[in-house]
Amino acid sequence: MVSKFWNAEIETMPRKKLEQLQIERLKKTVEIAMGSPFYAPKFKELSITPDSIKSIEDIRRFPFTTKNDLRSTYPFGIASISLDRVVRLHSSSGTTGNPTVILHTQRDLNEWADAMARSMYCIGLRNTDIIQNTSGYGMFTGGLGIQYAAERLGALTVPAGAGNSKRHVKFITDFGTTALHCIPSYANRLAAAFLEEGIDPRDTTVRTLIIGAEPHSEAQRKRIEELWGAKAYNNFGMSEMCGPGVAIECREQNGMHIWEDNYIVEILDPDTLQPVPEGEQGELVLTTLNREAMPLFRYRTRDLTSIVPGDCPCGRTHKRLARFQGRSDDMMIVKGVNIYPIQIEKILMQFPQLASDYLITIETIDDNDEMTVEAELAQATDDYGLLRNLSKEITYRLKSEILITPIVKLVGKGVIPQSEGKAKRVNDLRKNF
Amino acid sequence: MKTIKQISIFLENQRGKLSDILTALKDENIEIQAASVADTIDYGILRLITSNQMKASELLSAKGHLVIINEVLAIEVESDTAAFANAIDVLTSGGCTINYLYTFHKAGKLVLIIRPSNLEKAEKVALSNGLNLIRGWE
Repeated sequence: MVSKFWNAEIETMPRKKLEQLQIERLKKTVEIAMGSPFYAPKFKELSITPDSIKSIEDIRRFPFTTKNDLRSTYPFGIASISLDRVVRLHSSSGTTGNPTVILHTQRDLNEWADAMARSMYCIGLRNTDIIQNTSGYGMFTGGLGIQYAAERLGALTVPAGAGNSKRHVKFITDFGTTALHCIPSYANRLAAAFLEEGIDPRDTTVRTLIIGAEPHSEAQRKRIEELWGAKAYNNFGMSEMCGPGVAIECREQNGMHIWEDNYIVEILDPDTLQPVPEGEQGELVLTTLNREAMPLFRYRTRDLTSIVPGDCPCGRTHKRLARFQGRSDDMMIVKGVNIYPIQIEKILMQFPQLASDYLITIETIDDNDEMTVEAELAQATDDYGLLRNLSKEITYRLKSEILITPIVKLVGKGVIPQSEGKAKRVNDLRKNF
Repeated sequence: MKTIKQISIFLENQRGKLSDILTALKDENIEIQAASVADTIDYGILRLITSNQMKASELLSAKGHLVIINEVLAIEVESDTAAFANAIDVLTSGGCTINYLYTFHKAGKLVLIIRPSNLEKAEKVALSNGLNLIRGWE
């Protein structure tokens, strides 16, 4: 009989036993991280040693780790082992200052591929599938992360990469691709590309879409499923934890199972940093349990979510994360790119022709994210040419900073609504949540 | 300098913006002699010649509008096409380029408001060819 599970023992492990496994792995991870110049002094100060860990509650004695810590220790300052055992690094797209670098040993890569293969198996993909990846191959984990996992699954894997919809259409048609990995907005764009060629995406061989890396609503998923006549499963990963393969929906499509043999999951109130009751919303905080090059403890993801209460009918015992409800910081994800308002502010403030007020509006236009930046002019001019060149220059400089092209609008005084207290800088009309 | 003052107001495409400006001028009994605005997608520049440019400028600035004062040529010609054509011919033959132009009638005459790319040169060319330049009208 063909198993429902990639790794039945782990995936259906009774909670008590799973917790024991977590404790064992946490001890092991602490032992490894004693080699990290970042964690070693902190552990010493807090008297954290492998032997001091008795229960899973002990996680609350650990210090938090933030994206800022990753930046300030750029590039190798958190590494727990010497670089001769590191075989790969990935770097995140967040570009407020230093990028963040994540290191992997060969074992890390194997475990990562295994976890993502498990995720693929979980949504029904098998070695008979043909999986086409639309993520960029390179520093972004969605490329190689999916590639290695799909190969581990035994599927024929098409590393088509980002962009060039016409080529994707041809490959899907010619190869008989059965599964796609893409961000939700690209699922829409690719469907449009098929329609342009006179092909209904529902008539293609694609039956499964793995979607993620971009916040989207249940309604959006339904629409993607209708467009493609296929199932679309929400997939969660982040380069800090490895990449894709941290959590995925099962075929129940009611929350993403987070692989707890690999992570300790906490949902905390972002202000008090105390745990919220199960089912309530808080910030997802993760500790890696199965990584050696660069374990991270209590990493603040800034993603707001909750645990879906109760047992899942699929039989997996690993907790389920509800659809993400936003961020506890002001990061925006636009066209799959992580952007902070401060990046935009930094650029705008370089223009003496602009005053200090600005407003970022994000909306969905023809199935795509569009960002508009309204910037307040500091002074009038009698020259249309100056205004045109100014908006062109602002657009160009923003594009080089945030990697997407916003629509720049120059406005006069008082057009940007003044709010009491903290200025409202972002107006997200996408209704993702 | 035989030039006049023009006020230019930044105008984003927002309902009621133009009305606000006109109402403010009306309330202070400032007469508009000429106005011009081009059609653009996101914003425009409203150019005005009024009976009291300094007052108009201060008033509109105080109301939060972005206003700038600059100098333009005001050439008075007979109210016919031949005179209009002659004035333009004089300037272009003299090597001047015109950024923009608008006109209005005043006491049976035609007044051309012209912003040349080189104001000083255009002024010289106009004067040496006998064109009638107006200096302010307060």
